[in-house]
Order: sequence, then structure tokens, then C-alpha cells
Amino acid sequence: MKRLLLAVVSCAFASPALAMETQVLPKGTWMLDVAYMRSTLDKQWDGERRATSLIADIPRYEPGGGLQGILRARPDATFHFLLMQLMYGVTDKLSLAVYVPLVLNTSIATNLSWEPGDYQGQLGRAYSEDDFWAWAASMGQPRVPNSWSGNSGKLSDIILAGRYLLPQFGWMKSSGFRWAGTLQVALPTGTNMDPEEAVSAGTNLWELHAAGTIEAHLSADQPFLEDDGVSRGNVGADVFYAAFLPRKYQSGKGTLNPLLNNIAPYVGDEYWIDGGDWFGATLSADVVPIIGPTRASIVSGNSLEKARTLPPLLTLSIAYTHIRTLQSYWRSDSALWSWEREKMWQPGEKNLLKATLTISLLRVGLPVQVYASYRTQDLIPGRFTRPANVFTAGVRTLAKFW
Amino acid sequence: MSPPARTLLVLLALSVCACGPQQPPPTRETLTVSGAPYDRGLAHGTQLRSKIRSFYTTLLTNSLFPYLSRERPDIASLLTEYQKERYADGRFAYELLLDSAKSVERTLNRATREELQGIADGSGLSYDQVLVLNTFVDSVLAVRGVALAIRQGRAPVVEAVELVGAGADGVDNDGDGDVDEPGEGVFSPWAPELNAQAVELPPDVKLRAVFVDPDGVDPATVRVTFGTELFTQGSPQLVMTELAADRLEVVATPSQPLTMGAVVTVVLSAGDKKIVDNPPPSHASFMRDEELVFTVKGAGLARQDVRRPRLLDHRTRPPTFALGARGTATAGDGAYLAQHFALLDANTSHKHTVAIRHQPESGPAYVTVGWAGVVYGFTGMNERGVGYACSPSDTLDNSVVGSVLENVADLSQAKLLATGTPIGFVGRKVLEQATDAASARDVMAAAKHVYGWTCLVGDAAGGLEAVEVDSDVFNSGTGGIYPYRPEDVDATGRPYASVGADDLLAGSSYSKNLDDAPVLNIAGTRMVPQRQWSSFFFRSRRAMDGVGRKLKAAYGTVDAATLQGVLGDPELVDRSDSMNAVVLDLGARQVRSAMGQVPATDGPFEVTEVRP
Repeated sequence: MKRLLLAVVSCAFASPALAMETQVLPKGTWMLDVAYMRSTLDKQWDGERRATSLIADIPRYEPGGGLQGILRARPDATFHFLLMQLMYGVTDKLSLAVYVPLVLNTSIATNLSWEPGDYQGQLGRAYSEDDFWAWAASMGQPRVPNSWSGNSGKLSDIILAGRYLLPQFGWMKSSGFRWAGTLQVALPTGTNMDPEEAVSAGTNLWELHAAGTIEAHLSADQPFLEDDGVSRGNVGADVFYAAFLPRKYQSGKGTLNPLLNNIAPYVGDEYWIDGGDWFGATLSADVVPIIGPTRASIVSGNSLEKARTLPPLLTLSIAYTHIRTLQSYWRSDSALWSWEREKMWQPGEKNLLKATLTISLLRVGLPVQVYASYRTQDLIPGRFTRPANVFTAGVRTLAKFW
Repeated sequence: MSPPARTLLVLLALSVCACGPQQPPPTRETLTVSGAPYDRGLAHGTQLRSKIRSFYTTLLTNSLFPYLSRERPDIASLLTEYQKERYADGRFAYELLLDSAKSVERTLNRATREELQGIADGSGLSYDQVLVLNTFVDSVLAVRGVALAIRQGRAPVVEAVELVGAGADGVDNDGDGDVDEPGEGVFSPWAPELNAQAVELPPDVKLRAVFVDPDGVDPATVRVTFGTELFTQGSPQLVMTELAADRLEVVATPSQPLTMGAVVTVVLSAGDKKIVDNPPPSHASFMRDEELVFTVKGAGLARQDVRRPRLLDHRTRPPTFALGARGTATAGDGAYLAQHFALLDANTSHKHTVAIRHQPESGPAYVTVGWAGVVYGFTGMNERGVGYACSPSDTLDNSVVGSVLENVADLSQAKLLATGTPIGFVGRKVLEQATDAASARDVMAAAKHVYGWTCLVGDAAGGLEAVEVDSDVFNSGTGGIYPYRPEDVDATGRPYASVGADDLLAGSSYSKNLDDAPVLNIAGTRMVPQRQWSSFFFRSRRAMDGVGRKLKAAYGTVDAATLQGVLGDPELVDRSDSMNAVVLDLGARQVRSAMGQVPATDGPFEVTEVRP
């Protein structure tokens, strides 16, 4: 009869690596990680590392009457996710995982503003913003809402991953060096933005710019400052390549927003986005300020010796990730239209700084770890990318059935 | 090599070979099409398929059609034909323009129709769509003229203007040979002049104007620009008196005595008290900005010799203008035409520009500068060195007005229908047939025109002529053709539009066809000559005077580079609707065009050889 046995959790941390760039689970062990994630996005970096709006200014013209004005949007988007990760140790060196991101909600504040343009003789004034929307409404174009909320309950792309702990050669064993290879593949379960809505957001990984369709990682951890069987510090590294497979989109026909979204006649009924691939590297460092009390418990199989190999009570981690992004391509019937998008996604880079605090209760007998992290792309400007800032809080637990 | 190092090298190699940025597609194209008409059209349509489709959608479907369709309720209330189902559900503008396109199609020869069919087959648009794309400019200008005239019929009118002090200053201010005769300095009814309204006025001159509107003139909307000063309601320099419910008197007094010898522009505008909600946004009915120019004592100029100074009020934009120079005007006995075309960019036209070298099976090769899917341009030159440049010139003597007049007794049968040949097709005929400027003029004169245009034609030998055209729906006896050369003079003995012996200027207004339409009332709409209603008139006159000053300063040294500089001069550039700038070097058979950005002259002039 299968039953849950918490006592074996200690096996999962036979080597209590900290940054866990190379973490794998022991054979037959499960890990469930559930987290809440809040991601905010309000700008993009241009080619000169300057922060600009996510949407370029939209000059509007009165046919033959010159510039009506410039419509400016400064969108501020917030995504709320529930992230669920299930990982399983197939062997002591190979773990498989499935990662299910569920969107709780997406909200976008459009923050529209208006810069008046040329004097319009027939009005006796330049267009105000209200004038413009009244004009637009007379041609069937509704006013773009100040805010939008949606995507509740929609999946993002589900990720399947496998990690293999690579063989340790002579010096690796003696120094505690570990390295691992990871391959992950995203299933196209996320949605595309609505081609007819004036404001919307998709949930697929390309639109979130969160991960590639296929990613290959090579990671390493080097612990140091061993203290009574626990490393007080760790330096980790990861290099990876992320490829985006082309994704098909439907073109807008202007059914809801005839002046803004009627592109199908020249773009084609559908178009493809071939997202630019990424390659990047992460450097991480962990410190253990508090190892914490240790006692024999069901988690450690009532063994104090095994309990001492469990993760410390408190771990602080910082990581820097540099990602080079390659040119993204829009494949449509209109090179002009495609370029208007491609120019925002030229070869660029992301600079991510992430801090994580992990509290592990394993040593005191609870098979639970709670963690919180904040990742920012604001501190070091990038180029041709969108700096989402992400707060995550989660809990993970481990178990084994047999 | 260790596995990690090898992996790292692979990643680095990928980064080196795959991170090149995508290059922007050209916003200007150069195309050579040759062979039979259909084959030329097919090549055009196939090679520019993407741009033709996006030009049609972004300019017409997404911009012009919905914009024009807003006028349907007003028009259908008068012309009930447009209440029919065919024109409902947003189809009004397309069907209206298709009606006109089918009408003018009858003036196109078989070869042209085959070329349009080739474009349709190559681009994937329907033939009707291509026909509309090639005919809408003239049709829309004509419909716009009618709509503007109707709209201005609801706005205040300047009934009279008086330059107070002109009648008692001891000077002949109007050049009629009499001093301070009764009515000197009084313009009633008000009608603007091509140049100055009066000269040699005292520096303490005041302006008195009377505005009239059946709905009343709203004093809060009155605006008087007096030289560099702006007066509005509340300004101590502006005194307004409501003479009657429909009549407002305005007296403006400059803060300081005017500078002796200065050329002064006064701009008047006002709206009425009735707020119009349809089409939105809600607004009062505003008259166009009326301008009046005079000189202050000491200028020493006759009225006809006064040139309009530049206005920096941010309310006026230079329209399309053209100029021609030859012989003594040029550096080396050259012959040039130049034009800056500014009308309807709408943030899209500039992305679809194209210079097309046409190499027909017979006849001369020629180059037109235009837009994707359009078989002509408003400038062009053939390998014989004959070129043209045409600028729109508002007139109510247009074919759409003519179509209404034909049914004026029963407006239920009337439609806004363009007839005649769009100017671009006439220009192409010039390039196909003309051997010199005179024969080019004859080709222009032989056509029936959809709308009003002012064209310059020239040849490599120095032939240079202007041809002003309208549709002649009022049977003026001229056939709607008003040609002149640099040496021709008006009733005062002055050239129509030249600053020297070897040049011609053409704006978006007439210089010879001054009484293009009679003053009369048709179905409640007031018909008046161009200078009394066109929103381009004052802008055009000012631009022409600006061009004239620059041309005069360069006289004798003009070459292609000089003309490129004139076309790009900030004083003469419409930064919103500039569409292309072209210099035709008729002797060298070179077409130099700046386009592909707004304004067009923000980019370089590129040379297209007429003979490859």
C-alpha cells in the first residue's frame, strides 16, 4: 500500500545545496511548490537604455486637416499568477518537473493623455482629447477604456522540464562542486492577446517574455564555508539558451475598433511572431545567517544525524542574470507593419537582479519551506526589452510514496 | 576541451552570428515597369502588393472613408439619393467615390484601364478598389469643396471692413488716383485681394469690422491678430458692439503706433452662437481666418507689389506650391520645375511613396512620383525633357457642383458625381504625348477636369507655362483653361505669378482665374470665387510670396540644389501633411525626389534618371 512518508525527506537534501541551480530530487521523491506571483510592467527600454512607454505615441490626423493631436498611452500592467510546480526524482540524478502557471488576473491601466495638434479651422480650436474621442466615435471607434481587467483563470504556457545531475569528476567530488543540465519545453497552453480589443494581454510566454519555448541550461554550484555539515555559503552559475518557436496570431478586422485594429486587409488574416531567442547567464550567491535548531523528527526519520544535513532555517540569496535577446520577427503580408513591431524588439538585453529569502522548517520537523523573492529589471537598464518587476511568495513541500 | 567550455563556446558562437538587427523596409521605392499596359500594371501590383494593400487600407478604409461617411446625414438630407440602402452601414464614402470613379473611368483609355487591371491582379485588390485609389483625390477635393462651402454658409461672414483713418490721411491708400475720396479704406462688401488691401496707412490706423451671422456672432470666439498682437474678448484693444442680434461690430486698435514702412497682416476670425453637434465634436460654426494686408506709410509700394509676410501664429500651414525656373533665373541656362506637395499624409502616405519609371511599348519613357498602386504622380517628366507639376486649387467651378446643378430642379435625383479626367491621368497624357511645354499645355487644355488645379509645364529648351484649370460648369467661355507664360501680364501690367523674366510660381490658388465661380446662391448655398471661401487661399498666397522672395534672392544662380533648398525651407514646409518634394531637372532628365518621411524634405533628395 502506498503511503506518504515524510521521514524520507532528508534524502532530498543529501547535499543541501543552497542556490539550488543544480537541485535534483532523490529517486521517488516528489516536491510540490505553490506560489503567488505578482508581476508589474510599465515601460520598455529603448536602444539607448532609456525608459519609454510600452506603446509608442499615436499621432492622429484629420484627413487633409493636419495633426489632430498625439495620443499617448502609458500603460501600467499587473499580472497576478498562481504558480504550481510538481517535481519528481526519477533517479537520484534525474528529476522531471511540470510547471503550471495560472493567471489569476491581469489588469492594465492605460493612462491615456493627449497633446493637441494643429489648429482646426472648422472647430475654431485644436482638438482636445474629448474632441478627438467624439470625432472618433462618429466614425465608429469607441473611446479606449482607462483600464482593462481580464485573463482570470487562463493558463499560461505549461512547462515540462528535466534536470540531470552530471557526473562529478575528481576535483568536483573533493570540492563539493555540482553541475547539472536542464532541458525545458513549453506547451502552447497560453493565450494570445485579443486581436479586436483595444486593450488586452496574452498569457503565453512570448507575450510575458518570461521564458523560451525550449530552454537548455547548464548550471553549477560550489558550496563553501562548511559549518557542522552545512555550507554557510554557495556560489552558483547558470548559462542557458532559450529558443522561441514561431507563434500564430489572428489579425484584427476592426470589428470592435475599426480605426485601430483593422489590419487584416493588408497584414493578412493571420501572422506569425518568431520571438528572438535568448542566451544568458546567471551568477548567484547564497549565505546562511541562521542554521537554526535541529532535531530528530519524522522528517529526518527520527535521526539527528540526518536532520543535520537538512537545509538551514534561513537562507538569503541574490542573483544577477544577464540575458541577450536576439531580433524578433513578425511574419506578415506587410513588411511595413511588421517593422513597426520588430523595431521594438531588436537585439537587446535584460539585466535581472533577484533577492530571495527562504525559510526552511525541515530541521524542526515540518516538511515545508516558505520563500519570498523580488526580481527587478529596473536597477540596471536593458535594451529593447520590457522590465517586469516580480514579487513571488510560495511554499513548497516534499514527500515520497512507496 | 571540457564540456562546460564547449557549451559556452557554442552559445557565444550563436550570439555572434544571430544578433543582427532587422532593417526597416524602405518607405520609398523606385520601380521600373515596361511592356504592354497590363504587364506594367501587373509588375507594379505584384512588386508593391504589400504596400498597395496597406496604403488602401490605412488611408482609405481606416481614415478617409469613415471621415467622409460622417457627412452622410447632412448630404442625404439634401440629396435624398444618398438615403438609399446602398449608402448605409458605413458604405457611404466608398460607394460615393466608386460612383465618381466609374464616372471618370469613361474618360480613361483602354490602355489605362488595362494597367489598372494589372495592378488589381498583382495586388489582390479588386479593380474597383484600384480605380477608387486612382481617382479619389480629385473626387474628394471636389466633394470637400462642396461640403466646405455648405459649412461656411453656416458660419459668420465678414460683411465689411474699414481701415479707420485711411479716409482722412491725405494719401491715396487704394491706388485709384484719388486721395481720401468717400469710401477710401472701406471694404464693403468685404472681398480679399491677392496682395495688399491698402497701402501707406497712418501708423495709428484702427480696424473696424462687422461680422454677420443669422445665429448671432459669439464675442467669445472673436479673434483679431493685428501684426504681432493678438486681441480676444477682454483685450482692452478690442471693442465689440452687438449692432443687432445677427451683427457684431469689432474695433481693434494696436497697442503702439505701427512701425513706419511695415507690411502688416490682420487676421480675423469668429464663430457663431449656435453649437453644432453633428458631426462631432460639438462646435460653433467658424469662418475661415480672413486676412487683410496693408502697408504703413513709408513702404513706398503699390498694392499689387506688396508681398505677404510670414505668419507665426501656429494656425497656418503652407500648402502645395510649385515653381519653374529657366534661362536667366538659373546658373547655367538650365530648366527646372519643382514642387512640394502637401495635402493628405494622415501618417501613412509617406510610407508608400514610389518613383515609377514607365517604359511603354511605344512613346517616350517617363517618370512619375507618387504612391503605391497609383499610376501617376502630381509631378512627372518624360525622356523628351517635358515635365509638369500640378497643385490643387480650390474651386466651386468643379464637376461635382456641375452634377448637382444638372439636377438642381429636382435634388432627389442629384448626386455628388465627379466627371472629367483626374489631373494625374492628364499629367500622364502630357508625358506620353507632349514634345514641349506648348504641346503639354495643349494636352492640359484638351482635357475636361474634375477639379481645379494650377499646373506648371516646362521643357528642356526653356519652355515654361502655367495652366490654371477648372471644370467650367458655369460656361465661362474659356473652357476652364487659363494659361500664361512668364512674360504675360495682368490688367495692371504685372506678371501673373513671376518675380523675373524666367520663372513662374504656382500655389494652391489661382493667379489668373480669379473669378473662377460667379457669386450666386444655389439651394441655399452661396457660390463665390475661390478667394472668398478657400481655406487654402491666404496660405497659398503667403507661400507663393515666400517662394518668390527666396527665388528672387537666388535669381541667376538657381540650380537643382537651390530648388531643393527652397522646397525644404522651414517657412514653406507643412510639417503635418507634406507628401513629397520633387525637382525636375528637365535638361539633365533627372527627377530628384525627397519622400518617405514627414515632412518629405527631412530626407535626402534621390535622383531617378528618366533614361536609365
